[in-house]
Amino acid sequence: MKSLNRRNFMSLSAASGAVLAAGAVDSRPALAGSVTFAKGGRDFSPVTGRERKAIPTACWQCVTRDSLIGFVEDGRLVKLEGHPESIRTNGVICAKGQAGVNQVYFPDRILHPLRRVGKRGEHKWKRISWDEALDEIAARLKPLRDAGTPEKFMFQYGRMKASQSKVMSDFMAAYGTKTIGNHTSICEGGKWTSQELMWGGHYDNWDFDKTDFVLIFGSNMLNTHTNHIPVAQKLIEAHVGRKVPVYVFDVRLTNTAAHADEWIPINVGKDGLVALSMVNVIMNEGLYKKDLFKFMKVSADRKASMDEKIAAVKEQVAKFTPEFAEKESMVPAGKIRDLARRFAKSKSGVVVSYRGTIAHQHGADQERAMMLLAAVTGNVNSPGGRCQGVGAGWKSPKSKHPKARALDINHGFPGQVAYPTHKVSNQVLKMIKDGRNGRPEVYMWACYNPVYVNGEVNENREIMMDESIMPFLVCSTIVYDESSSLADIIVPDVTYLERWDWEDMVSPTQVAEYYFRQPLIKPLGESRDFGDMCVGLAKRLGIELAWKDKEDFVRQSCEMTPGVKEAGGFEYMKKHGVWHDKNANPDYLAFETRIPASALEADGVIFDEASGVYWNWHESKAKTEAEAKTVGYQNTPKSYKGFVGQEVDGEVYRGFKPDAVNKSGFLEFYSELMKAKGMPVFPTYTPIPEHVEMAPDELHLTTYKVAVHTHSRTSHCKWLSEIYHDNPGWMNPKTAAERGLKDGDVIRVHNKLGGITTNVHVTEGIIPGVIAISYHVGREHSGRYGSGSPSPIPGVADDPDFNNKWWDKHGVHPNAIIASSPDEISGQQRWMDTVVRVEKA
Amino acid sequence: MATARKDMAETAASRSNVYGLLAAVFRAEPSAAFLAQVKSSEFANVLESLDLSLGDDFQDTPCDQLVEGLAVEYTRLFIGPGPRISPHESTNIEFENPMEGTLWGPQTVKVKKFIEAAGLAYDELFDGMPDHVSAELEFMQRLATKEAEAWEERNEEFATNILKIEERFLDEHLSLWISRFCDKVIEHSEHPFYQGFAEVTKGFLEYEGKSLQAFNSGTGNGRGFPD
Repeated sequence: MKSLNRRNFMSLSAASGAVLAAGAVDSRPALAGSVTFAKGGRDFSPVTGRERKAIPTACWQCVTRDSLIGFVEDGRLVKLEGHPESIRTNGVICAKGQAGVNQVYFPDRILHPLRRVGKRGEHKWKRISWDEALDEIAARLKPLRDAGTPEKFMFQYGRMKASQSKVMSDFMAAYGTKTIGNHTSICEGGKWTSQELMWGGHYDNWDFDKTDFVLIFGSNMLNTHTNHIPVAQKLIEAHVGRKVPVYVFDVRLTNTAAHADEWIPINVGKDGLVALSMVNVIMNEGLYKKDLFKFMKVSADRKASMDEKIAAVKEQVAKFTPEFAEKESMVPAGKIRDLARRFAKSKSGVVVSYRGTIAHQHGADQERAMMLLAAVTGNVNSPGGRCQGVGAGWKSPKSKHPKARALDINHGFPGQVAYPTHKVSNQVLKMIKDGRNGRPEVYMWACYNPVYVNGEVNENREIMMDESIMPFLVCSTIVYDESSSLADIIVPDVTYLERWDWEDMVSPTQVAEYYFRQPLIKPLGESRDFGDMCVGLAKRLGIELAWKDKEDFVRQSCEMTPGVKEAGGFEYMKKHGVWHDKNANPDYLAFETRIPASALEADGVIFDEASGVYWNWHESKAKTEAEAKTVGYQNTPKSYKGFVGQEVDGEVYRGFKPDAVNKSGFLEFYSELMKAKGMPVFPTYTPIPEHVEMAPDELHLTTYKVAVHTHSRTSHCKWLSEIYHDNPGWMNPKTAAERGLKDGDVIRVHNKLGGITTNVHVTEGIIPGVIAISYHVGREHSGRYGSGSPSPIPGVADDPDFNNKWWDKHGVHPNAIIASSPDEISGQQRWMDTVVRVEKA
Repeated sequence: MATARKDMAETAASRSNVYGLLAAVFRAEPSAAFLAQVKSSEFANVLESLDLSLGDDFQDTPCDQLVEGLAVEYTRLFIGPGPRISPHESTNIEFENPMEGTLWGPQTVKVKKFIEAAGLAYDELFDGMPDHVSAELEFMQRLATKEAEAWEERNEEFATNILKIEERFLDEHLSLWISRFCDKVIEHSEHPFYQGFAEVTKGFLEYEGKSLQAFNSGTGNGRGFPD
């Protein structure tokens, strides 16, 4: 181009003026108002001083969802801290929480609606308006509903909780679809199913403030727990402050194990067996506590006497001697005996278990073994024991809705899973591919990355690439990732720091905390809360919702929730962010509460002799009382919803109320429900088939989380990826030597699903026979900090700050060689059952 | 004096026009109406005089087709998904402290405060960052318009003051990054439309830098601008 001079400048100006004068510029201006400098040569200062606001809100980096204070300066979020008045966190947050700032301002964030204009996965996009996006989505949804097939609209989420979840489900119900998938099976679903079969509800907490002994199986709770900061700090206070003994059973020397009294290395998949052998010791040596036996069901006879119950448990665990457990688990028999005795003799104690225990075939049964250990020592829902989690009980507005319909693709293949009470998300794409139970015509997802987070990532990608089986894909996201890159429409979600929510995560003190999330800043770009997107769709579909927008939903919830309402409702929560009932106390031993006779005489309440349950058949699917009585409590669909009380020794108690399955009000270890599905009736040890068949040169592949990442949602956060971006495979020196490997060698890890290449980290911090690879990194797409590759336009990410990115390793993703395979009891993804070979690459 | 004032008013209005056009180019994908104007003979002649082309087939391609192609190109270049050419000041300046150079970072705040100190606010429906290239160009458009009014109103002191503010904004902000930004667009765009307008933007801002400096230091010709 020629240089400008006055002549061609004036020509350019005239031509520019003509374009402007023709009204051809139809975009809105950036600026409003008019220039208003004081006339008369006075200079001005653009630096007017800082205005800093402190605004209470809540984290969302992981499911713990700690309360926060966000500091905002000049309209910019500059810092996040813990909320000092939160009884859950006491003002503490983790590294992930601090890095929430990165979620808002990461340079590759999606800020506008986009329509795919190339082939699926070609990365060719066109920005469209929100109206265009919503019109297009609604144009797909309306015919499905009009044709009476709303279930062909499927929505799947990775993280939706509290008001976020309520808003979504309210809209979906109003539309008429129940084809709603989650991600729980790749997280902890097996633990919840197991607990629902025993004590009714799900989610356990540990009363660390009062406990005297801690046993931890397969849980790195100081680093990565689903209620991380609350439980980690309580555990630290107990261990450091009161010298409470802590013993950790784990395949790896985790941070939690490193800070315990002792790390007890254990073979993969043997946690339940060791717990059963501890029960064996406790029963045989008479160290059990009788109190809870009254409320336990341990044999077919619900009326069994105390002595009969004790004998039954003894008989069930007789074969699990410490010597047998040592042979299988490598935990010394003497250690098992010592810990069993000390645990049983403690005034109180907790048994913690997590994914290391339950992400196996029959992992749900291993969780039952954990509960049995807690129960025979009297440590269930008791001071200092393993307690049912207590979270906030918010009320919220509900819209009118038709009878919703569902495609049966969220519970695994027919006969695959006995009790998929938290669905089988790991089989959804396979079900869609199979097609026998139908396929969604519109598949929408939010805060989820189905390609990356499930096993068999290559197959997942192939399925989502196939327009013949997944014809229309819509994604609400903030980041371009392995799944959103395959969408047909991408809509820009807000970050959690730009939206309204009420929150309800479990409190470590057994006293519920009601807390709140509010926008710290105006949402960047055109990003829009998923709930507000639902409002836009509802308008186009002629659906009347009971709330105007997400803020209104949260406002109404505050004004209708007892306690919060009286404290000042929405305005109080905006100002304070947290509320709890200062007079509330933990409801220990609530199962011992007697049910008044009047409750048993209410309309519809009948007695089931087989189970000893009083239940209201009106709440179930039974059509008549006669049918309810004939079919009985256990076999009447949804009978658990009518549970009133449990008869025990002639009295009726609240017991352990069912929440998801038709169990009795006993703490059920002898489970008729398990028996009915051909599963172990009493907690037992079932060797994992793949492990039994392992060849001598094969290894277990286990995965794990790290403290500074959430599964797939944080690798674009610069501060976190700077800390953790590579995931070499941990290997014991003995195992490495057998393969001629030394620390840092490049290795190939492979099985029939394929192979991955990484480095080996040789360490005594892992047992022999195992390779452990974390699963947060190895991103194909996730912004420049996650993938390291400035895709999809190579070479463009050359902002100066990108030059500060000093790391060039971005890890590997083990899920490529992990089968999407559910536990046959619960549907839990079997993360820890994979078998591989490892060689020098 | 009256002639000089008139010239200054005309020049300021002219500069405002160019800023306004460039702000529109980078604000959003071009509409068919906009492209029709750019295709006009007047504009074509200007481009020719500058030895610039918006593509061999630009004139012959129907506006509707151009709209679609340029929308995809605009999205790829400036919207994403994935890494893109960040059209923001804060991400295009080398800072000693890396924290300064982050999206919606401290530098963005400086731009925002500068603009707000001039009595302007960001439009409620504007969905860009405060230091988006189009916002900065529009700010200069607004200043130049105000300056032209001041000359017209014979308020020389005010007009002169605005000129100093224009130079200051150019020195403290636009000139620090616009060249780097335009070079990226020229390198990475697959459409001569954006390459061409990036060339114009770069050339115009260089010319502006010299012009404002000359006027404010009194070293230019009688009208304060270099020929």
